Amino acid sequence: MTTTELEKGTSLWHDATLRLKKNHAAMAGVVVLAVIFLACLVLPSIPDLLQDPNAQSLALKNRPPSGEHWFGTDHLGRDIFSRVLYGGRISIAVGIITTAVSVTIGVCWGALAGYAGGRTDDALMRVVDILYALPFLIIVILLGKAIEPWTVDLTNWAVDLFAGKEASVSRQNETRTWVEPITTLVPLFIAIGALSWLTVSRIVRAQVQNVAKQDFIEAARSLGLGHARILFRHILPNALGPIIVYTTLTIPGIMLFEATLSFLGLGVKPPNSSWGILIEEGANRMASNPWLLFFPSLFFASTLFALNFLGDGLRDALDPKSSKD
Amino acid sequence: MLRPLLLSCLIAIALASCQKQTQVERANEEGIMLVGNSAEPKALDPQLVTGVIESKIIGALFEGLVADDPESDDAMPPGAAVSWEHNEDMTEWTFQLRPEGRWSDNTPLTAHDFVFAYRRMLTPDLAAPYAEMLYFIDKAEAYNKGEIEDFSEVGVRAIDDFTLALRLREPVPFLPSLTRHYTWFPVPRHVVLQHGDIDDRFTPWSELGNLVGNGPFQLSEWRFHDVIEVTRNPHYWDAENVGLNGIRFFPIENPYTEARAFLAGQLHTTYTLPPDLVDTMAADYPQFLRQEPYVGTTFVRLNNTRPALDDARVRRALSLAIDRELLCEHIFEGYTPARSMTPKMGAYEPEPVLSFDPEKGRELLAEAGYPKGKGFPRYSMLISRPSARASAEALQAMWKEHLNILVDIQNKDWGSYISAQQSLEFDMASAGWIGDYLDPTTFLNMWTEGNGNNNTGWHSDAYEELLDKAALQADPAERYRLLAEAEKILMEERPVLPVSWYARNYLHRPEVKGWHPLLLDNHPWKAIHLEP
Repeated sequence: MTTTELEKGTSLWHDATLRLKKNHAAMAGVVVLAVIFLACLVLPSIPDLLQDPNAQSLALKNRPPSGEHWFGTDHLGRDIFSRVLYGGRISIAVGIITTAVSVTIGVCWGALAGYAGGRTDDALMRVVDILYALPFLIIVILLGKAIEPWTVDLTNWAVDLFAGKEASVSRQNETRTWVEPITTLVPLFIAIGALSWLTVSRIVRAQVQNVAKQDFIEAARSLGLGHARILFRHILPNALGPIIVYTTLTIPGIMLFEATLSFLGLGVKPPNSSWGILIEEGANRMASNPWLLFFPSLFFASTLFALNFLGDGLRDALDPKSSKD
Repeated sequence: MLRPLLLSCLIAIALASCQKQTQVERANEEGIMLVGNSAEPKALDPQLVTGVIESKIIGALFEGLVADDPESDDAMPPGAAVSWEHNEDMTEWTFQLRPEGRWSDNTPLTAHDFVFAYRRMLTPDLAAPYAEMLYFIDKAEAYNKGEIEDFSEVGVRAIDDFTLALRLREPVPFLPSLTRHYTWFPVPRHVVLQHGDIDDRFTPWSELGNLVGNGPFQLSEWRFHDVIEVTRNPHYWDAENVGLNGIRFFPIENPYTEARAFLAGQLHTTYTLPPDLVDTMAADYPQFLRQEPYVGTTFVRLNNTRPALDDARVRRALSLAIDRELLCEHIFEGYTPARSMTPKMGAYEPEPVLSFDPEKGRELLAEAGYPKGKGFPRYSMLISRPSARASAEALQAMWKEHLNILVDIQNKDWGSYISAQQSLEFDMASAGWIGDYLDPTTFLNMWTEGNGNNNTGWHSDAYEELLDKAALQADPAERYRLLAEAEKILMEERPVLPVSWYARNYLHRPEVKGWHPLLLDNHPWKAIHLEP
């Protein structure tokens, strides 16, 4: 029996994946990112594999890279290899979570403004203008300080959750060592996320306005599709390129911003590390102990490059106007 | 588009490489010294500041009765006073001021300016944080605490325009050395009162354009967080012997940045050198590295009003867990482990009580109700500059390892770091104290009730009684014995945890002449000249 079948359409994502796979630079970016992310997320979780990133042995300070300490030791005799990986965890978490928060808010806000138009648009964008006028750093610090008291409770709660309420002091402290660097950053996630969506919302609004005027949207309307379906199914995919490029550029920006805040006493607290802190400490001692600067910078710069290449590739791949092949 | 950009870049690089002269070389030609000075000063009013940073600038703008000597801590060259004499038990002093003394606005400098300065310093409403430096004057403490209201009862008097008489509450053999400290400097009555009342804090009188001093230099530029520049004061009595045309003070907070700026030829001298760079500098730049003795103590200030920290056993436990040898060997390069609050000073030697004994520390902590650190409150330790982070992290690790106590580290800028301590809104602070004069009281007098530099909330009647007794004692050996006994109480109670005794590590260019090692590190600016 033979039937005549229509040629099966391929989805946007399927096309995009195919196109992305052909982009070598982007694929190299994916591989580098995967390696770094896996190393930072998995290796510290394996017990007894890495040295304690905060354990000091002053007698072994300032040692250049060797078999025992792959990346050398710092001025307090701490193992740089494990500090880079533990620090990477924090930097990556800050970069990704905060960017996710900010992009989500920004996309919804901008899309709504651009699609609704008129008074809604005016009202929403005036809010953006007002927030733009506020000094970013000061607001982040104030907001962070306002939320900070809760992080103590949050930390205690998380420690009880993971270690058990009746656990010994040393067991609790052990749990605290890895829980605390993350919970103390919650104010930072919220504060930066809540304030850095402004640019995204403007980009998205402009894109949405542009796309909404085109004929295929008119067609969708005349078919009687709902607003949500038009917005999320037809408009946003067409605006995805700039959003993705912007996102990949935001992540390293926020990682750097975290270093600034950590220095001001708001972000990562000593003795915990992040790439930003390690680079700052390394830069101070680069003349005498260059490895302190080299390895954290290597990780940070590779991540940044990889994200940029990936972003570039994704923009090309996700462009619905590019030819199907 | 790219080509003009590339071209202009090339031109810029070419220009930059032509300009071989460094800032120091240019300054050498101009006779201007470039000084790294750590942080933006809190103020330049000598009566409202407490820091070493401020003292460097104030020392160029003002001069006390007695001047600093470039080569010796003990020599007492004349300053605003030409001569002085005292009675037999050293309680009555008369200073003869030089008749040609002038303020930098050419107004005569008289004994009345000194009387006004001491009166202002002691006015209760001014709340001068360093007022106790004047408590050596009879009835000064009572006036400062509002117990008497008539200033004429206080032992300061202008006999005539150029004769200042001081009546002290106790014999003070080191009074000339004391008057070299900025708290004893005169302030210009005519300028202060023009900008506010005697008890107004932070009026514009000490700002650029208004500030009038009697020192070898006058304020000529003040760019916030950038530079403070002073230039020759033509009305200074010894103006012809001033060797520099000016000094620029740069508030470079990060000592690593400062060291880089020095090596790039931007500074003649640095405020400090991070201890972990000492070895590198000794190997690569021995001609610049200076390591000198310095009378000072680094310590951890505790807020004794906080729960747990209000218990002497806890404070001693924290102290016993500090491995001072290890710290000095690896972090405080060149420093010596502190054995007490006061470093050895002449014949004064306090009992060496501080030791490292974590076992004893754990016992004390358990006795105080925190066995194995259980239930110990979470406190944070203030630091004021990034280079203090290493030692703070080392202390943090020692307390965690030996006592199972977790402490956070919090960085604050210099101004809020000081304010937080003065208002007791802190838990612990990594701090340091540099002697103001060569006598153990400069390390002991501040731990008394209400003292503007105590900032611990701790005081002890027995301790203060011993200090008072020592103050009235004319026999030096007996006086030192009483002071040592007081220090023993201080160490028993341990409101602060001394960590190390300072050494001064810094970078210094050889063309700066007239700069010699001094225990108190007060180099008289007027004696310095540049010989490139």
